[in-house]
Amino acid sequence: MNHCIVLFLQFCKFSVLCFGGGYMLIPLLTAEFVDREQVLTMSEFGNLLSVAQVTPGPVGLNTATYVGYVNAGFFGSLAASLGLIVPTVLLGCSAAAGINRWKDTFLVKGMLKGTRLAAVALIMFAVTIFFGMSIFTQTIPWEALGAIFKLERPVLPNGFAVSVPGIVICGAVIVLMLKTKLPTTVLLIGSAVAGAIFAVWF
Amino acid sequence: MEPEIRTMSRLRRLLLLYCSFFRITALVVGGGLAMLPVIEEIFVVKHKLLTRDELLDMTALTQTVPGIIAINSAVYIGMKIGGVPGALAAAFGAVTPPFTVILIIASMFPHLDPKNRYLLGIFAGIRACVTGMILVTGCRMFRRTVKTPLECTAVLIFFVLAVLKVSPALLILAAIPFGWCYVWWQTRRLAQAGRTEPAVRTPAEADKDGEGGK
Repeated sequence: MNHCIVLFLQFCKFSVLCFGGGYMLIPLLTAEFVDREQVLTMSEFGNLLSVAQVTPGPVGLNTATYVGYVNAGFFGSLAASLGLIVPTVLLGCSAAAGINRWKDTFLVKGMLKGTRLAAVALIMFAVTIFFGMSIFTQTIPWEALGAIFKLERPVLPNGFAVSVPGIVICGAVIVLMLKTKLPTTVLLIGSAVAGAIFAVWF
Repeated sequence: MEPEIRTMSRLRRLLLLYCSFFRITALVVGGGLAMLPVIEEIFVVKHKLLTRDELLDMTALTQTVPGIIAINSAVYIGMKIGGVPGALAAAFGAVTPPFTVILIIASMFPHLDPKNRYLLGIFAGIRACVTGMILVTGCRMFRRTVKTPLECTAVLIFFVLAVLKVSPALLILAAIPFGWCYVWWQTRRLAQAGRTEPAVRTPAEADKDGEGGK
């Protein structure tokens, strides 16, 4: 029960802080559940995001349900999902009418500008998290790379390498997204099939 | 007002909201802005409960307030059509399908063989695809949001802080006062520029003024 209340409050926090859509949840969730509480490993988190991405529904909600389930079963996922909704409903009921009137004030404008800049930076950070799970074989070793600033050669950990299928699929997806208007569903199914084919070949 | 709005009873409106958002999140993979065309089709074209302008306002609003875009749209559209009960009906409608589907998958997940090569390959493929998708989304956001070198520096600093394991929650909270300072500084600079120079000038005039100033 206590666990569920904690989960509910955690997801309330994420909902309030989530400026700029579902991808913003990735750095928030990894900081909380992978780094701090360690209820999930990075690769589990990657698998979970893959599942969340291919099942219907917003990625944020899918992830919340799953993380809640891993933490505390059925009631955990209920608490996590409710945690994402409740702040939005409260905000919507109190501020929906107001925010349009306040839109051009200094307070709202400044808040939006600042949080958007932070959101861009955090989504870039989410990309580096994903690099560690797809186009490299391990998470990016920032500590080792820090040696570059001391003008030393960085010592990469054992087993850190570039994953060929990852780079090929990721590159293909980027090109297709920029050059064509294929729906994301097609891209996801295509890369799932490509991933399976690579698994057979290598 | 269209007659349909008056003829539709309160309960039917709530039911419509619940069912529509249930359908939207159940069928639309990817969520967020992918839902928009479907919302338009149901609420603007078919049932005429919203005008196109209202929907546009709503879209801008759902992206500015915090929260997941899908739930934001559900809450604000529900609010507009059916008040607070409408917002709740729409939000619960949006949550039900992903909640059920993920719950079923999550309860089965331990039984799926994580050592299975093909399954691992499929997951790896999807992860690579998501990497590409987030990268493209991030770059588009960057282009839309970052307009000046100063803003670019701010993004870079936030990014480095995130890499140095500063909590993302803290970063977002710190970004709010930063935004206030930045906007205050910007408006003050604009106001000062406006005081000394006329508001609209041709480039040639601006050049002449610049030289005259020196």
